[in-house]
Order: sequence, then structure tokens, then C-alpha cells
Amino acid sequence: MSLWSEIVQYTISGITSGSIFAIIGICWSFVYLIAKVMNFATGEFVMLGGMITWSLSLKGFGLLQSAVIAILSTTVIAAIVERTVIRPIKHGTELTYIIATIACASVIKGIALLMWGSETRLVKPFFKSEPFQVLGATLNPQVLCVIGYLVIVTGSLALLLNYTLFGKGLRTCALNQINAELIGVDTKKMRLFCFMLAGGLASATGIVTAPITFTGYEVGLLTGLKGLIAAIVGNWTMIGTVSVAMGLGLVEAFSAGFISSGLKDLFTLLIVIIFLVLRTLTFLPGRRWIK
Amino acid sequence: MTSVNCNGQEPLLAIENVGKNFGGINAIMSLNFCLQVGGTVSLIGPNGAGKTTLINVVTGVYAPDRGTVHFFGEQISGKPAHIVASKGIGRTFQLGEFFDSLTVLGNAMVGCHTQGRSGLIPCGLRLRSAKREEENVRETALENLRLVGLEKRAIESISQLPLGERKLVGIARALGMKPRLLLLDEPAGGLAHHEVEKLVYVIRTLVNRGITILLVEHNMPFVMAVSERIIVLDRGLKIAEGPPTEIRCNPDVVRAYLGEEY
Amino acid sequence: MRPRKGNLSFLVLIAAIAMLPVLTSNSYVISIMCFVAIYGTLALGMGVLLEHAGIFSLAHPTWFGLGAYFAGIVAIRGIAPAWAGILIGAVCVGLIAYLIGAPLLRLKGYYLTCASFAVLLIFEITFAQFSSITGGHEGLMGIPRLTIGTIVFRKDIHYYYLSWGLCLACFCFLYNLMNSRIGRAIESLHDSEVASSCMGINVARFRLLTFILTAVMASLAGSVFCFYIRFTMPTIYGFALLLEVLTMIVIGGGKKLYGPLVGAFIMIWLRELLHGLMRRILPVMTSEVDAIFFGIAVIVILIFAPHGLSGSLAAFVNKYRRSA
Repeated sequence: MSLWSEIVQYTISGITSGSIFAIIGICWSFVYLIAKVMNFATGEFVMLGGMITWSLSLKGFGLLQSAVIAILSTTVIAAIVERTVIRPIKHGTELTYIIATIACASVIKGIALLMWGSETRLVKPFFKSEPFQVLGATLNPQVLCVIGYLVIVTGSLALLLNYTLFGKGLRTCALNQINAELIGVDTKKMRLFCFMLAGGLASATGIVTAPITFTGYEVGLLTGLKGLIAAIVGNWTMIGTVSVAMGLGLVEAFSAGFISSGLKDLFTLLIVIIFLVLRTLTFLPGRRWIK
Repeated sequence: MTSVNCNGQEPLLAIENVGKNFGGINAIMSLNFCLQVGGTVSLIGPNGAGKTTLINVVTGVYAPDRGTVHFFGEQISGKPAHIVASKGIGRTFQLGEFFDSLTVLGNAMVGCHTQGRSGLIPCGLRLRSAKREEENVRETALENLRLVGLEKRAIESISQLPLGERKLVGIARALGMKPRLLLLDEPAGGLAHHEVEKLVYVIRTLVNRGITILLVEHNMPFVMAVSERIIVLDRGLKIAEGPPTEIRCNPDVVRAYLGEEY
Repeated sequence: MRPRKGNLSFLVLIAAIAMLPVLTSNSYVISIMCFVAIYGTLALGMGVLLEHAGIFSLAHPTWFGLGAYFAGIVAIRGIAPAWAGILIGAVCVGLIAYLIGAPLLRLKGYYLTCASFAVLLIFEITFAQFSSITGGHEGLMGIPRLTIGTIVFRKDIHYYYLSWGLCLACFCFLYNLMNSRIGRAIESLHDSEVASSCMGINVARFRLLTFILTAVMASLAGSVFCFYIRFTMPTIYGFALLLEVLTMIVIGGGKKLYGPLVGAFIMIWLRELLHGLMRRILPVMTSEVDAIFFGIAVIVILIFAPHGLSGSLAAFVNKYRRSA
């Protein structure tokens, strides 16, 4: 492959991973801003999406049906997490919720391992068409699904938050929970909604990407972390998260391609740390998407 | 060396052309005044006048964007807060900022941090020097608590105390530094009448011990009762300065607080 | 100020620990207690970092791993006698903690959590990838026994006294420290950094101090660990270890200094119990499967006993004292 087509190839895979990280980052920031919980189970929701779809399609369900059931069940699981874990914790500090969601993530991961074993699995792609050539590089049509998914999600969320009454309720929760309750917004219902939304979106992400990257019980950790990094470094805004996620995806793709795929995570993480530390040296004003 | 007119003597505190912005907001435009040793000076003004910002600038929490602050002739503006504290400037906080995980005595003892020298190894190994120092610090902290009348509550958790008593602990804590200048940020805020009276008594005791006090306050009767001099700020500028009797009648002050119609 | 009752119970505890190998020669029990001491030291440090100093660093298990690797590499390559490997590890880890901590601790809140988590993963990857030095994914095997002069640490019981000696020494040091001027300064960091610096405390310096101190303790524990099990692998020192340590802190409680030790004791014995019970039902008890039960235990504790078991014990004792 010529250098140019290599670059295009890495850019494509970078944008693909970037879209994945972006949506996961949005899941993180939604739950964090509105429910004030750093949900470490987000990565596991992604894993559940892919794995449930795989196991159902193996049992004979059609791809679409498996996907829908997977998304619905993960949403339910997310709701269960909120009800049984988050809600009963009284006077929780942020650290308490972090540890609680890490515990949930471990439980889900362990059960996944028991149910489905430790090998990586492959889910069939959505469309039967062959990968086609773009600018000298191979483009898997699944990639277009991923990008399209990102666009739909960000668009709908922006509409929800800015143009609906419910969305305004969500934004008030993000600004000040006590005041929101005083004006009649049911913060507990909002929190439940956020968890379910995160569950649904994350699992859908898992499904959409499963044909490209393999899926297995281990997928949750690193993918979830990268989404978190995108959200934190992007200052929890939608635009910030998406841009940082894309940046992360590209850095990862290019390090994997040009340097070594074993060390790609190393470089990505190093760059994140350096970026975060450099940020403390200059003051960058942060803007919240919810004003 | 300062060029502000301070009646000749070396001032305790010299604020010269100090200005501070936050983003686009001018918290302090340009401030000039001096404090002499001894007595109580109050800083008053409507909300947003820049009073707490000034305290933060003097104690080193913020560096001023313009101007300088000198303490006994030495420049302290731009130095970090812990260095400024070690020079003998103590403060309390409008919102308390107590150490909830420590007891009342613990809070008071933290204030004595600058008076101690023990490092990591002596403390960890409980060497004799560290033990002796600990005893001294304990005594001093109890003494400070006695001054504010709270030594009986030394071993209680600070979160169990009512607000008035917690604020007194804040003063005891600041006293641990053996400060020559004490900055009190709204010490009477939220206090009941009898608590304010106790506060007045405490402040007068401190002044008798030679500590200069600069206090920021909204409670006018309290301010009138304790201050020898009042400085009035409005929107980041000094609009009046003088003894309480003068300030009460000053038309600019009345306008700033109550508006044009009055 | 140590309450006299506390002193007595502490001495009783030390006596009990010292007498255990005399009372039972069951090497299984002694071996498990070695692990309790080693993990306990690790959890102790992280408990101080998280709950007392308010430093949300998730990189703590890294120092454990580095201590293990340094000691292991020094011993295997014969660069220095085995016991020197422990000291070399401690010094190197202290240095690395200083270099990493100085920029990292300037980050606040979640940025620190994120960056420190990245450090944890970076080191896990580094241990796995640079196989020429670290043995790669398989790690280092056949680490020689610890020797100090002519004393060879051969039996479990030797490591028992060594690991508990280390654990209790660290505990005493931290106990003295937290009840002193330095300890108060560290605790003040947790509640209000502004107030802390206005009391003359150099916040950045004390954060770094706590960070390096707990890192060195973790490194010592890691070195002892590696000489005890005589091999190391990168997967031991990553996210899985982080979860275990957090579990110990939560179960045992972080507010009291001894909380994480209680948590270590409970968690490790519970795990053995679990393995014993489940051996027939589940074929493989990997750490992920353990994690299911510990995850549930953590959630239950967080809901019903948020200050951990040591917190509940302290509250119970307080209530008993007041009514008596």
C-alpha cells in the first residue's frame, strides 16, 4: 500500500473508532451532568449490546430482532442498575458512586464471562455488500453505519435538549438538582431516563461496531475508558466530546499503523496525559453545552 | 517602598493601585489604602463591591492583575497563599471552609501549622522533638479556643457546632499563626444577636493583644460597634474612608447602599 | 493522643498476630495471612490517599507492580543481593512517583482520576510489551529466594513475619503521622485546599509528599510479594488489582486508618471461602468471577454501611460507650 492510501486507511479507521468513542463519551457525560454519577458501567453496556446480539443471532433470531432485543435488555439492565444500586445509596459522594458503578461493571463483566466464555465473537455485518475502495483504501460499508449512527444520535439529542420541555427538565437537573426539584422537575425520573438512555445508546454502539471490531467480555474496559477520556478532555460538552473522540481515534489509528499495534494504547494514553497536564499550564475556558 | 500616603509611619499593610479582573468582570478597579498597626478597620460596601476579592488578593489566594500589596514594607502580592500566611497574616472565610474531618481542637491545631517544624520522619517515628512540639501546639490551640470561649468543646466534631460557634473556631484557627494582621470575612454573617455580642467581645480582646483587624461586614450595628475606621467600597473602588460617625452621614455611601432616590 | 483502650487492643492484636504461627502450623492459613498483610499494606496506603488526603489517584497499584518488578529483575539478573532489590525498588519507585506526581497532582478532581488511571494502564501495557526486560506477558519466573546476609527466607513462616512486620511498621508510621502536625495538614487537604493554604500549608508539596510516601509503601509490599510468590506477571498489577484494593477499602471502611486492613482480611478470607464453596459448581474461579461476588458485596456495603465495617464498628462502639 502506498503511503497515501495508508494514510487514508488509518484516517477511516480513526474516524470509525472516533465515532464510537464519541457516542460512549456522550453516554458518560449525559449521566454525569444530569445524574451526577460517573457511570463506570457504560463500557459494559457496550459489551452487552454486542454479546447479546451475537448469542441471540446464534440461536436463530434474525439480526435485526437480536439487535432490538439486545438494546431493550441493556436498557432494562441500566434501569435495574439505577434502581438497585444508585438510588438506595444515601448521601453518596462522587467517589461512592464511582466505586458503586465500578462494582456493577465487575458484576456484569463476570456474568458475561460465565455465560459466554472468554473467546472473542464475530457478529455479521448489517449489509451484505462488499467493502469498496475509496482513495486507494478499503472502506467497509459498516463504517458508514457507524458514522451515520453518530450523526443521528447527536442530532436527536441536540433536538431533545433544546426544543422539548423534557429536555429543558434535563438541563435544569444538570444545573442545580435542588432547584430543579423545587420547580417540580422529578430528578429521580430524569436520572432513570439518563441511565436508560446511556444503556440504549451504548448497547447500540456495541452492536453497530461489533461487525468491525470483535466483541468479547473484555471489550468494555478500554472502550469505556476512551469514551470517558473523550468526555473529560472535551469538558463534557457535546462538541468537545466528539472532537476529542475523533482526535483519540485518529491518534490511535495512526500509532497502530505507523508504530506498533501492541503499543497503540500506550501512545494514546500518554498523549492524553500530556495533553491534560499541559492544559493546567494555560487557562482554557470551558463551556457547558447546557447553559 | 510604597508611594501611598500613610501618614509617614511604616504601614502594616499598604494596598497600592490594586486591581483584579475575572474574565470580563472588574472585581476591583483600583484600590489604595493603608492600615496602621493596632485597631480595627472595617471594609463595607454593597454586594459585588470587591470586598472578599480584596481579602483573597491580600492573603495570596489570587494574584492582583494590577498594583501591589506590601506588608510591613515587604511585597506580598503575587506570592502563594501559604507563604503569605507564614508572614503573619491570618484570615477567616465567609463560608467557613472548616476541616470537617477534624475535631474542633484539630481545626485549631491546623492553624498552628506554621509554628511547627517537625518533618516527615520525626512525626512518623514520634521522636521526642515531635512529641514536645505537639504538646506545645496543643496548648496553644487550647489557649486560642479558651479565648473564644470554646475550649470545652475541643474534642467534638466541628460539624456538630452551631454556625456562630463554628465561626469562632475559625477565628481560633487563624490565631494559631500568631498573626499580626487578622482578616475576617463576614464574621457576623448568619449570627444571632447574642452570638454577635460575643464576637464583639472577642474582637476587642484581640485588639487589646495587639492584633490589627481588618474586617469585611454587612452588619452595620456590629461594624459601628467595633471599628475605629471604615472604608467603603462600591464596584471595585474606594468611595469613602473615615471614622464611623463620618461614614454614617456620607452621601456617597448612602447612595451606594440605598440608591439614588434616597 | 492515643486513648488507653486503643493502645491495649492494639498490643493484643500484635500479640495475636505474633502467636498465630505458634498456635497453628497449618501452612495454608499462614500463607493466606501473608497475603492479607501484603495486600493490607497496599490498601492502607491507598486508603490514606483516597479518604484522608482526598487525592483520587487510581495509579496506586502501579507502585506495587513496579516494586515487584524492580526487586524481581534485580534478583534474577544478580545485579545486587535480593534484599537490596527491595531498597532499590523503593528508591526508584519514590523517584518515579515524584516525576509522575509533580505534574499529575496539579490536575484536579476527575482529571487526576482519569490521568492516574491512564498511568495504571500505561504501566500494565509496558510490563507486558517490553519483554526483554520484564519477561513480557508471561512475566518473570523463578525469582530467587530472599536472602539477607546468611538468612534465607525459605518457609512461609519467614514471609509471614516479614510481611506482617512491614504491614505493622507502615501502620504505626502512618498512625503517628496522621496524629501529628503533618497528618493534620494532609487531612486538611481533603476538606478545603483554600483554607489549608491560608493556614500556611504548601498544598502542592503535601499532596506530593503523601503520594510519594504511599507509593514507596506500596513498592515495599510489592517487593515482598514478588519474593514470596517468586514470579510476577503484568496482569496482576492492573485494573484487577485496583478493583481488589478498592473493594478492601470499601468493605473495611476508609475513615479509620485500620479500615483497609480489616477489609483486606475479610476480602481475602472470603475469597478463599468462596473458592472452596464454588469449586464444585463452577469450574474456573478466575478473578473476574470473584469480582461478581465482590462487586455485590461492595454494593451492599455502600448501601447499608457506607463507612465500611470499621465505620460501623466505630459507630457501634460509640453508641455503646454513650449508653454505658
